[in-house]
Amino acid sequence: MSTRHAIDPSAPLVIEAQDLKTHFQGRSGILSALVGVKPPSARALDGVDLRIREREIVGLVGESGCGKSTLGMTLVRMYQPTDGQILYRGEDITKVEGRRLKAYRHSAQIIFQDPYSSLNPRLTIGQVIEEPLIIHGIGTAAERREKVIRALELVRIPAEGNIDRYPSDLSGGQRQRVAIARALVLEPKFIVADEPVSMLDVSIQASVLELLDELSRELGLAVLYISHDIATVGYICNHVAVMYLGRIVEEGRSEDVLMRPLHPYTQRLMDAIPRMTPGETPERIELRGDVPSPLAVPPGCRFSSRCPYATALCEAVEPALSDQAEAHRVRCHIYDDRAARAHPDLPAPRAGKITEVAETGALVAAAEDARWQS
Amino acid sequence: MVAVASPRFGQRPASPATLAELEKLTERLARKPAAHLLVDGLSIGYSTLRGRFHAVEDVSFEVPAGTNLGLVGESGCGKSTVVKTLMGLQPEATQVSGRALLDGQNILGLDETALRDVRWKRMSLITQSAMNSLDPVYCIGDQISEAILAHEPVSKATAWARAEQMFALVGLPAGRLYEFPHMFSGGMRQRAVIAMALALNAGLLLADEPTTALDPIMQSQIMTRIRGIHAHLRCSMILVTHDIAVVAETCENIVVMYAGKVAESGPTAEVLESPLHPYTMGLKNAFPRLPERGAPRQPLISIPGVVPNLLLPPAGCRFASRCPFATEVCHRVTPPVVQVGAQRAACHHTDRAAEFRVAAARPETWRTMRGAV
Amino acid sequence: MKQASPHTPAAIRGRSAWSAAWDSWRQVMQDSFAVVGVSILLLFVIIALTAPYLAPFDPFKAMMTETGRLARLRPPSGEHLLGTTAFGNDVLSQFLHGFRVALLVGLVAAIAVGFISTLFGVLSGYFGGWVDDVLMRITDVALSIPTLPFSIVAVALLGPSIENIILVITVLFWRNGARIIRSAVLTERERVYVKWARAAGASHFHIIMRHILPNIIRVVFLWVTMSVAFAVLTEASLSFLGLGDPTVISWGQMLNTAFSSGNLRTAWWWVVPPSLALVMLVSALYLIGRAYEEQTNPRLRKR
Repeated sequence: MSTRHAIDPSAPLVIEAQDLKTHFQGRSGILSALVGVKPPSARALDGVDLRIREREIVGLVGESGCGKSTLGMTLVRMYQPTDGQILYRGEDITKVEGRRLKAYRHSAQIIFQDPYSSLNPRLTIGQVIEEPLIIHGIGTAAERREKVIRALELVRIPAEGNIDRYPSDLSGGQRQRVAIARALVLEPKFIVADEPVSMLDVSIQASVLELLDELSRELGLAVLYISHDIATVGYICNHVAVMYLGRIVEEGRSEDVLMRPLHPYTQRLMDAIPRMTPGETPERIELRGDVPSPLAVPPGCRFSSRCPYATALCEAVEPALSDQAEAHRVRCHIYDDRAARAHPDLPAPRAGKITEVAETGALVAAAEDARWQS
Repeated sequence: MVAVASPRFGQRPASPATLAELEKLTERLARKPAAHLLVDGLSIGYSTLRGRFHAVEDVSFEVPAGTNLGLVGESGCGKSTVVKTLMGLQPEATQVSGRALLDGQNILGLDETALRDVRWKRMSLITQSAMNSLDPVYCIGDQISEAILAHEPVSKATAWARAEQMFALVGLPAGRLYEFPHMFSGGMRQRAVIAMALALNAGLLLADEPTTALDPIMQSQIMTRIRGIHAHLRCSMILVTHDIAVVAETCENIVVMYAGKVAESGPTAEVLESPLHPYTMGLKNAFPRLPERGAPRQPLISIPGVVPNLLLPPAGCRFASRCPFATEVCHRVTPPVVQVGAQRAACHHTDRAAEFRVAAARPETWRTMRGAV
Repeated sequence: MKQASPHTPAAIRGRSAWSAAWDSWRQVMQDSFAVVGVSILLLFVIIALTAPYLAPFDPFKAMMTETGRLARLRPPSGEHLLGTTAFGNDVLSQFLHGFRVALLVGLVAAIAVGFISTLFGVLSGYFGGWVDDVLMRITDVALSIPTLPFSIVAVALLGPSIENIILVITVLFWRNGARIIRSAVLTERERVYVKWARAAGASHFHIIMRHILPNIIRVVFLWVTMSVAFAVLTEASLSFLGLGDPTVISWGQMLNTAFSSGNLRTAWWWVVPPSLALVMLVSALYLIGRAYEEQTNPRLRKR
């Protein structure tokens, strides 16, 4: 499971999102509805383009609340997108309902983070995996059993002796395999894996990641792997997209993004990963404040409120995704001077050494430090 | 953000008298030496409906004054139980045996009054979920100054000024002392808890998964803070975590626990560079890392099998069922603790560790055990 | 765990609803209080079923003495084990027939209550939104009905019959149950497997039947058990107030006649049996309910 195979650019597209937006409208009370005040909407997902081909695993990383799970849920039509399009093998499924939606649900599956509550404790492993077949009215009881056994084989769990056990008898890793088997039994073409290993112990994470990798190759699956842990993405993904506050800020082949991150946010995200070399602590820039609320998205670049390089241009104009190298795109004025040329009056950001200490607190702490030493 | 005025203190500059008292308090606290902790043969047992079991068995380690110790292991290995018991927070009817000497005094089995004197003052705890250690109905400043007042004979104003000092140390503006826990974000709350734990400059700091619930960036920011604070407060610290990389960056010494027992301990650099115990080797290879430029990519390896049920602990080595190097003796005899240089490992085959390390870096070694899902 | 043998049937097996119910029943029976409750209840059911054979006389028949006079207020004797009433009726026979009424009213009303509150609770908890709004406002209105005045007026208007009493009890007690069941559904609805089932294309009916109902059935059962007790008590209260069905004999009515004939203080043999039976029945139901609640709510479980 070293670097993942290259993806044939002519491989058929399985899923494609175009300028996808999902906003959550706050529920208005009777009083504000009478007065005509509309509650603010949370722009959880705010204009995302994404393409996943057959046999490809796309990694989606970002902090909690950046909209990565919303994107996953929107792609499997658990949330109704506010705007934009979702194409499944070229067919627009953004607004389909009824039988066509059920047909889409047959081919797109989702795996959730929590292996402990994702299986109904009252059902046996066999019943859990059989359920999607019942929902879609597939096969006779005997045929369904065949399919369940095959799905268990795919996730490397011997059916013999396990099919009649209950989820409580299994470990976290085994439960997550069962959840994957349940997703596979319908023979889907597209799987969203939403933090599938983040609740598992480190020693078994690798086996679940490896399984996803092998399944995607064997079955030609398109996989969207969602994670806040950028380090795991490097092992199984062909392509990585980094999200911040509802938008993709950087994307590219996973080697490119992981080895040469361009966006200041991605750089900081990579910096945050502790190195395994003892005693070697990299110098880390402290970011100001927290991620802004999706209810009040800043006007310019969404990262400008925390970015150490931010200038007036960043606060006023939102950068567009610009092509850097092959398939490597970044949303930052440092790498794209189009906005700077259009607004010559605003100072543009430049990459370089950061002089500003991030937070006033740090200054006070430094002063304290001096006092304590004396 | 606008500070909400506290009815009790108001927001006004501290008086000269307060400042003088604060200076004295600060000096007094700064003179506190770092604590030395020696844990010796600690066993912690529970009785459950399904029988009695030992969550922790015969754990021994030492925290020399002024050093950091990382206590690592996977869920259910007993690392948090150790810390809770040291703080005297174990549930009633827990059987504790062994000794834990804090500067020579055994702190296991102290009664409530004696414990109160030890907690906060000599030993303080940073918990995993900050929301549970803060009271939602009091403002944060009140909670920190209450803790100070309970142990130090100073005025309220001085205690508040000390709380401001602590907030500055963790990088929070003093004005936010007037706010309530729910007004803080997760990262800020965790910093407030750290400020509270530091307020009395305890000689030993116990940090139980202090960053687990946070985002990676916030996690690294908090850990940077903790490291900085540790460097200049010169206290001792035990950091409990499942993340060996954090320990690699932060701690001089490491204790690796598996299924309630210590698998390996020693200086972090040596343990992670040349592990003696196959479990440490597996854990290290299972940890996802960023690709390094030019270097060949290390494969990610998982350890097959599951942690044994502690209600029915297996005979011999507890890791044997998952160990690719296990021999007949491993399944039969509890391994002795072997000292190699500064490292100690509970393994029968420490003499073959060099050979194991090479083999453990290959995924095939572990894959042969795949039969046991 | 049972291993799958080579002879396993070709279909996927699981635990039936019955075996799940059996398991939770066995768990409840580990509680010694529950065993007492169940024994009392069982005894009451047996008495109710066999009452016509056990009763020595027709409960409405007026007893005569040898001299041809009405056998009024005879204390217990060999002939009349529990004495006679002011109207010469055999107390034991009336008392035994009272079991039938109590259990009939209790069971029928409780089943109706359980059905309506489950329907309301599941629909409003599962669908949320405007369905929840409408159903819960109806529940709120129902909750604002004062119990005793409403039952008195309703029975007075509809006429005093067992059917009407059951109807009134049902109308009064479904409302709290609906709230309790709704909150249980709200918890179940948020389970990851429910979210998953929606993503897999399952219908609402499928999700409710497979994932919601089996997990809240304990709460429903607890509420039904409690409702039996409420129903028995309410029927007794209404009968005591003189609003009972005159064609049947219930314990409330026995107390009512004892009271209105002015013998409540003196004729202890007439008053004690129905009162004691009421207390025992309601206590037995509470004991069972308590054991169930302990099991449903792990926080109440003994360490």
